[in-house]
Amino acid sequence: MAGRNEVNLNESRMVVPLNTWVLISNFKLAYNLLRRPDGTFNRHLAEFLDRKVSANANPVDGVFSFDVIIDSGTGLLCRVYRRADAEDSHLSIVELDKPVSAGTVPVIIFFHGGSFAHSSANSAIYDTLCRRLVGICEAVVVSVNYRRAPENRYPCAYDDGFSALTWVNSRPWLQSADSKVHIYLVGDSAGGNIVHNVALRAVESRIEVLGDILLNPVFGGQTRTESERRLDGKYFVTLQDRDWYWRAFLPEGEDRDHPACNPFGPKGKSLEGIKFPKSLVVVAGLDLIQDWQLAYVDGLRRAGQEVKLLYLEQATIGFYLLPNTNHFYTVMDEISNFVRS
Amino acid sequence: MGPYDSSIFVGSSSGSSSSSFTGKPPDQIDGLLAGAGYKVRSSELRQVAQCLERLETVMVNAPTEISQLVNDAVHYNPSDLASWVDSLLSELNQPAPVTVPGGSSDYSNLSFVDSLEGLTINQTAITDDWTEHHGAQQQQDVSQQLTVVTAMEEDSGIRLVHVLLTCAESVQRGEFSLAGSLIEEMQGLLTRVNTGCGIGKVAGCFIDALSRRLYTPQGVGSIGSSYDNEILYHHFYEACPNLKFAHFTANQAILEAFDGHDCVHVIDFNLMHGLQWPALIQALALRPGGPPMLRLTGIGLPSPDGRDSLREIGLRLAELASSVNVRFAFRGVAASRLEDVKPWMLQVSPKEVVAINSIMQLHRLLGSDPTRESTIETFLRWIRNLNPKIMTVIEQEANHNQPEFIDRFTEALYYYSTMFDSLEACSTLQEKALAEIYIQREICNVVCCEGLARVERHEPLAKWRARLGGAGFQPLHLGSNAFKQASMLLTLFSAEGYCVEEKEGCLTLGWHSRPLIAASAWQAVAEPSIPIGQRLLVAVNFQTSFKPTPLAFRF
Repeated sequence: MAGRNEVNLNESRMVVPLNTWVLISNFKLAYNLLRRPDGTFNRHLAEFLDRKVSANANPVDGVFSFDVIIDSGTGLLCRVYRRADAEDSHLSIVELDKPVSAGTVPVIIFFHGGSFAHSSANSAIYDTLCRRLVGICEAVVVSVNYRRAPENRYPCAYDDGFSALTWVNSRPWLQSADSKVHIYLVGDSAGGNIVHNVALRAVESRIEVLGDILLNPVFGGQTRTESERRLDGKYFVTLQDRDWYWRAFLPEGEDRDHPACNPFGPKGKSLEGIKFPKSLVVVAGLDLIQDWQLAYVDGLRRAGQEVKLLYLEQATIGFYLLPNTNHFYTVMDEISNFVRS
Repeated sequence: MGPYDSSIFVGSSSGSSSSSFTGKPPDQIDGLLAGAGYKVRSSELRQVAQCLERLETVMVNAPTEISQLVNDAVHYNPSDLASWVDSLLSELNQPAPVTVPGGSSDYSNLSFVDSLEGLTINQTAITDDWTEHHGAQQQQDVSQQLTVVTAMEEDSGIRLVHVLLTCAESVQRGEFSLAGSLIEEMQGLLTRVNTGCGIGKVAGCFIDALSRRLYTPQGVGSIGSSYDNEILYHHFYEACPNLKFAHFTANQAILEAFDGHDCVHVIDFNLMHGLQWPALIQALALRPGGPPMLRLTGIGLPSPDGRDSLREIGLRLAELASSVNVRFAFRGVAASRLEDVKPWMLQVSPKEVVAINSIMQLHRLLGSDPTRESTIETFLRWIRNLNPKIMTVIEQEANHNQPEFIDRFTEALYYYSTMFDSLEACSTLQEKALAEIYIQREICNVVCCEGLARVERHEPLAKWRARLGGAGFQPLHLGSNAFKQASMLLTLFSAEGYCVEEKEGCLTLGWHSRPLIAASAWQAVAEPSIPIGQRLLVAVNFQTSFKPTPLAFRF
């Protein structure tokens, strides 16, 4: 057993830069302390350990942010990130919701990752990522502080995502020149899963979403796939962890074939004939759940939906958090092209 | 060639992390990890990685009980990854630490609520108000007011803020007649917005403050008597969790600092009604090994009517202490201004361990006569010379002391909007109204006063860190136990929307992620002005009869 662990550690060390390894291992260790075997979660310690940053209405590197409560009933908060215009010498409160400048401005609704239980819109890693997205896509980014498991199970996160969608869609100051809000849904890990499910609701409510971007989205199922068996415990993630998070998120008594977890599985439904947004799905070759992610792409294709798969062979989870590998830049380029096309 | 050499990486590393071809990694903070909220020196990365690996191996091979143990440990300053992983490792190598009273059992702190009875103006008010408020919350309409940002659907609201800022600018430039006409315009606009809440209410306060500044600046200093202020303070205490958070967090830190000491002395820079102290007295009474002898020195304003109100409060605290068998002595120090207090008035004895408690007080010392030495520096110096075991500092997390008026004004507008928002959510109507008046007085001071009269000179934590560091203090980190208790306090006492955050060992209370107040703890470092050469000499002299140890050369 000890021998196998040594091999695991050596392997993950080989494929990521040192600071990335430290970052992701730190999360892995911290998350281990937070998950309890009985399915409860040490939320206080989680909030204590999570590194957070405040919104900042003063532009930093040309981007400023502010927090908005979009649903006072649930206290749902979003953090909005925007480019500061050259003319904005000092920002007064009024100009935070100044209409976007002429032309077409994409509005990205971002769902942070964390397996439905961890992180927040104001987590440092996600605040940094959203700021990058503003620059890379010349977009406004709205990061949703959705309710998390296990305190709030399915469908809370999706409900919150949908609230954010309707809110964004109804802001006059987010409209492009054609008087429409150009919405893209972007999310990583659990956020990727939320993207898919919010897109489904968008279709039902006839709210137009121009595209979905899913970075290492979490999907799963009852059966164990080849990649899960092969990569279990090898690159920061174990199957046991994954199972814990599904148990914490899905309704009690449900298994991993629930459509939230397994959208194209035995309880899923086909998207054939549905006007579903085009998708960009990024899969890391060292992610143990890649077979489920590839099955998702497959499910979209079989339903005749437009989907692009970006498969990064040597990437692990979380590679998009630090700009220190080729994978990072490749993905940012793809995202930029996707949103501008 | 170890596993971390950059040549093995897939995809080249950019950024400051790579231990590069020059061979020697720079001894600076890794910039990419800093963006993720972690401070790790590039030179430490490898070591941190090794610690993480060791922890991983132990956690994987160890039974669940060890996870639980680590789970219950107190964590400090998670941004300092190196020390965090180190402390976890030592946690696993040692038996579980003894938890401080009140720290282990989740709900033992509830007893502190009861102890307030008999010491507050409305004896029965405390617990009753809590259940009343709780009930009211449930019935309350879900039409909570939106933040300043989203309330800007209204054109008049937007216009108000615009004119407010323009007016402040004209005040700064000395264009008083323009400022005056803008104030009239705003008063007109006020009739078209809801001044009961949201942007209307905040704007109303600031318009009032601006017109006072223009028309009656000499009258501003005397808004309300000190007695009024005490009443308002008390209602502010009830209306929202800010002061409770301050007291709670400070008490936890003081309790830990007093651990193992039998003779302790707390110096409170602003006693008010002594609301903070019953909880500490109770906690000390319950500590394993028995309570210490506790002295409390309470500083406060002299009573205008000749009553010795400080002594009265001291008597009531003494009664409580006696009822829980804590040896207790109280001394009141009346002073019109904090800077008038001198060390000899506090009668600190060398045998006792001292805790200094400063809740929203230090900023009052920042205005000074430019011809004399800075008040705050003098003050901090003699505080440090008392050699306190701990100094708890709670301050508004705001930048209201900037030199330019317009900058202060804008900051204040933003900060107090948040404050009003949070009050909106939180309390019974009567308390809310009085708490708002308390806040309005603060706003008036920030906006209308200058020179020594302007005492509300709030500065953000980052500035206090620098100031206190330069004055010979070093941080004492507040840990996850204090954090957890503060979080639980919030869920008990207040509305959704408050949050506690940890940053570099300090705790901040915020409203919807906007910071309101910051709590930190400090201790005096050894006298820093001894030159290095002398310190080495001292160490070597001590060691003359022994072989010089490596320690002597660490200086």
